Amino acid sequence: MNRFDLQTWLPAIVLGVLVAAISVYDRGFLAPSNLITITGDTMTLFLMASGLTFVIMLGSIDLSVQAIASMASCIMAVYISRYGIVAVPFALLGGALAGAFSAIVSTRMRIPTFISTLAVSGVVLSFGYWFSDTRSVNIPAADRDMWLFWITGSFAGIPGEIWVGLVALLVLSALLQLSPFGRLVRGVGAQEQAVVASGINVDRVKFFAYVLSGFMAALAGVVMGARLGSGSPTLANEFLLPAIAAVVVGGTAITGGVGSVWRTFIGALIIQVVRIGMTFVGISVFAQQIVFGALLVAAVAITMDRSKVLVVK
Amino acid sequence: MTAGSARTSASAERLRQWAPLLVLAGLCVLIGFFNTNFYSFGNLVRLLNSAAIPIVLCMGATFIILMGSIDLSVEGVVALCAVIASLLVANDVNQVAIGLAAVPVALALGGAMGFANGWLHIKLKTPSFMTTLGMGFVGLGIATAILAGLTVRISDQTFRYLSLGRVFGIPMAVWIALASFIVAYVIQERTRFGRWIYAIGTDEVTARQAGIPIERTRILAFTLAGVFAGMAGVLAAAQFGQGCALIANGRLFTTVAAIVVGGTALSGGVGSVVNSVIGVLIVVVLANGMVLMGIQPYVQQGVQGLLIIAAVALALDRSRLAVVK
Amino acid sequence: MTAPVLEVRAISKSFPGVKALDNVSFEIRKGEVVGLIGENGAGKSTLLKILNGVYQADEGAILIDGQQVTVDSPRHAFDSGIAMVFQEQSVLNTLTVAENIFLGREQEFVRFGLISRRAMNAAARKELAKVHLDTDPATPCARLTFAQRQMVEIAKALSLDTRIDKHITILLDEPTSVLESREVDLLFSIVRDLRDRASVVFISHRLEEVLELCDRIYVMRDGKIVAETPAKGTTVKELHTHMVGRQLHHEYYRESRQAKPGDTVVLEAKGLARHGAFSDVSFALRKGEVLGVAGVIGSGREDLARCLAGHLSPDAGTLSLKGKPVRLRGPGDAVSNGIGLVPAERKVEGLVGPFSVSENMTLPALSRFAPSGVIRFAEENETARGWIKRLNIKTPSTETMVGSLSGGNQQKVVLAKWRVAGVDVLILDHPTRGIDVGAKEDVYELIRDMTADGLAIVLLGDTLDEVIGVSSRILVMRDGKVQAQFDAPAAAKPTQVEIVGHMV
Repeated sequence: MNRFDLQTWLPAIVLGVLVAAISVYDRGFLAPSNLITITGDTMTLFLMASGLTFVIMLGSIDLSVQAIASMASCIMAVYISRYGIVAVPFALLGGALAGAFSAIVSTRMRIPTFISTLAVSGVVLSFGYWFSDTRSVNIPAADRDMWLFWITGSFAGIPGEIWVGLVALLVLSALLQLSPFGRLVRGVGAQEQAVVASGINVDRVKFFAYVLSGFMAALAGVVMGARLGSGSPTLANEFLLPAIAAVVVGGTAITGGVGSVWRTFIGALIIQVVRIGMTFVGISVFAQQIVFGALLVAAVAITMDRSKVLVVK
Repeated sequence: MTAGSARTSASAERLRQWAPLLVLAGLCVLIGFFNTNFYSFGNLVRLLNSAAIPIVLCMGATFIILMGSIDLSVEGVVALCAVIASLLVANDVNQVAIGLAAVPVALALGGAMGFANGWLHIKLKTPSFMTTLGMGFVGLGIATAILAGLTVRISDQTFRYLSLGRVFGIPMAVWIALASFIVAYVIQERTRFGRWIYAIGTDEVTARQAGIPIERTRILAFTLAGVFAGMAGVLAAAQFGQGCALIANGRLFTTVAAIVVGGTALSGGVGSVVNSVIGVLIVVVLANGMVLMGIQPYVQQGVQGLLIIAAVALALDRSRLAVVK
Repeated sequence: MTAPVLEVRAISKSFPGVKALDNVSFEIRKGEVVGLIGENGAGKSTLLKILNGVYQADEGAILIDGQQVTVDSPRHAFDSGIAMVFQEQSVLNTLTVAENIFLGREQEFVRFGLISRRAMNAAARKELAKVHLDTDPATPCARLTFAQRQMVEIAKALSLDTRIDKHITILLDEPTSVLESREVDLLFSIVRDLRDRASVVFISHRLEEVLELCDRIYVMRDGKIVAETPAKGTTVKELHTHMVGRQLHHEYYRESRQAKPGDTVVLEAKGLARHGAFSDVSFALRKGEVLGVAGVIGSGREDLARCLAGHLSPDAGTLSLKGKPVRLRGPGDAVSNGIGLVPAERKVEGLVGPFSVSENMTLPALSRFAPSGVIRFAEENETARGWIKRLNIKTPSTETMVGSLSGGNQQKVVLAKWRVAGVDVLILDHPTRGIDVGAKEDVYELIRDMTADGLAIVLLGDTLDEVIGVSSRILVMRDGKVQAQFDAPAAAKPTQVEIVGHMV
């Protein structure tokens, strides 16, 4: 019980300690404007990780999220000047379809998800290149102001992307905590055979989880593209590791069954604050992957439930 | 199971064994039909040359997949070993120039990273795909950090000879790949370690009961995979004449695709390094054919992705998996 | 009388919820073939697994040649002269015959760091000759038939013979169940040839075989050895009498509450078959009836139960629900047709351990509690509270994690789950396995409640006594076929000996 409680609160405590440590070095760190900037910068990572949370709670993985985000940014950038706002749902649809494809491949053909999503990420990457014709595609400023103001603009003094993130946080938390789907996701991760034996169509649960993961990754790609003013087939490269790390560092176990969108929110903030902290301490931007890689392995080792796996492969 | 069904599954298994070779032959005939240049000596050498690095990589990675595990760290290990090797031979960044002595250093480094993969996977009891994913990023991170994101150019021509030099008209890289294959094949067929890998991949519980040292074998397999990845890094640096973090981009994909297309099962126990060589050739011939037919190169990863799915779907013995995560 | 080569003194072994072995002592003398018989769950396999080092005993000692030894792994047992042929085959299909025989002991063939395949195959050929298996040792085991693989397994055990200068003991755990009669004869002649070099322990459900092959027979029941008898002069009938347990008081199974089954047929099977498991099973299950299925492991009753619950598909025959033919393509189909399964593996298939009591209870019927897409927690909790009270489940609250409850209370949650879902047919696969005596009586009580409410039940009991006591009709299965049917009305139950005769 103690261990359980500690695991619930540890991420928040870590975040608090990190923030406190940095604010000792830099008094300006806690200034509201700075906190808002940091939170805003975290949102793309959080959006990507929030959908991934559902997949990881199943006890599965989605290695295609960064490719999906990149592809979505391309779709959006290419079509926004021609079709306006419709480009955004089009991009999101692309992400959802990619997720659906992963789910079908892994459930119908019974392929482990780290392989099926790796394979799908290759396919998605090719589509990204195809949509963008292998270039980086600029989003004209006029289109950006007209159609993407809800990301780049500011409401009540808070940037649009934070609002998008907060809406996602609330909606997905509700989905996970209040809906039958959320409960079944948790159940499949905790004890899949028992859910199957209760007559639940588990493949359908997995399907929707992957669609959600693809959709949220695409949303992350759209937000990323809007912020940078362009879409590119490699836009979200380097995002897979922080996204998985955000979920796991937040306390969601890769063995499935335990986790929440809130935890992923905290996890994403930890990743961002660690990033800032490393810059403070003078660790090169290039070396940050090292820290995240190590952090990932450590967090996985701490959170996973070893009683569930008899033979670790 | 009755005798009858045992026999059908045996013949199905034999078909499965030959399927990759048939696919390779079919591809060659098909591409040769559309483009007669395919069979030119120049093109065949080009084919073998582009197969060299993937073959070296696959030799180690096959052992991992035969155990039912996976190594997602290949890109990180290859990149770091390539960068370190580049920095140790005559180059435009530092004054170090230890020449071919850089090769054993790179192999040792690869082995050390592989050992770390295996050791963490076993001691922390974390699944290999997670451990190696993290380790891969650590490798890429170090490679990027050392050069601050830049590229180091190699001026040591002896070192570059390892890839570009020709013996009997065939590039050195191909000879090294051949040597790697022979080493891997002997390990697989003729050593206790090689046979234990099959036993572990087939049924770890039974293997443990037979007194096989599971943990030591697993760690050794990851270490060996690291050494082969280190060799691939050396070859990549020698071939391109430079080292950078991006040098291994796409290598993981090709490796996994080649191994599963060759017929090695992800569930472990079934397959061989011979299959992996055939798998590499399929992937390389396909890529070569697409180039000859004027298909955009970016389509290749997509095609490889579909290949992985198709090959796994055809080869997987689904009855063995109760729960797929 | 010669001194025992292998002796077991006062061994006990417990698993969570069950005492598998209780103060068991036995001995094997030089060159002797010892039979070990008993009902499923009597402790035979556990005993052999302790001798083979798969399990360690909680108490007691193992002596080899009069010296106490610890056997902490199968490899260790092997080196001490004990080899086991497993019930579930441990031959690795991806390796060759020779590699399987010498798995883990390849060192003897290593020359200059490499395995000499020629030496290994030659040695394997010698071992194969002992079991008269004329197969190339370089053949992958995947190409062998099931019986051939069994012979390889036996050859592997016999390879001890020339490698150890001690007297060896070979443990055979139901080796004949997959063999044809010709192969059984061969195995028996091999075992007889072995006598001057080895002792053999032989487990089988086929009592005629045990009497034919063995010198001495131990009978186990409820984790104890209840009889020891020389084979000569003993009859199958006598063995049956030893095997069957005490007869518990009628009221233990709440026989006075056993209802007369109704007339409506709820579930009907006609000629149901599944390849390699069972064939031509027909029965009609009525409302309020408990149909018991008796049989040993390998009788096909486990697979039959899983077919009825949609977890497996039958290859032939029809299944009708209330007169309408149904095809169950998965557990989902079964549940939507009103069939639920209480599985033997409660923690794997019965419950989601980290889920709360109420979450588990509403799992099959979850959509009913969320008509608008949002779960109505108040309604859910109220339903759960109702069943907690009705089934007298001891839990601190509806929010308690089900994994923290006792086995008996967990089983009640599984039963409640199906009551909430409103099923008409319930398949009970070992519903009292691993729960304490008091909780067992509660489960019997609940079964009577369910039949009173009109549910129809198929019961695979933990013991034969339980099947007889609880059921109103009994199917006896052996080797995949229905051997006999018994009516079991409350006042006139068939005896265990009558039924055992059809089971083994």
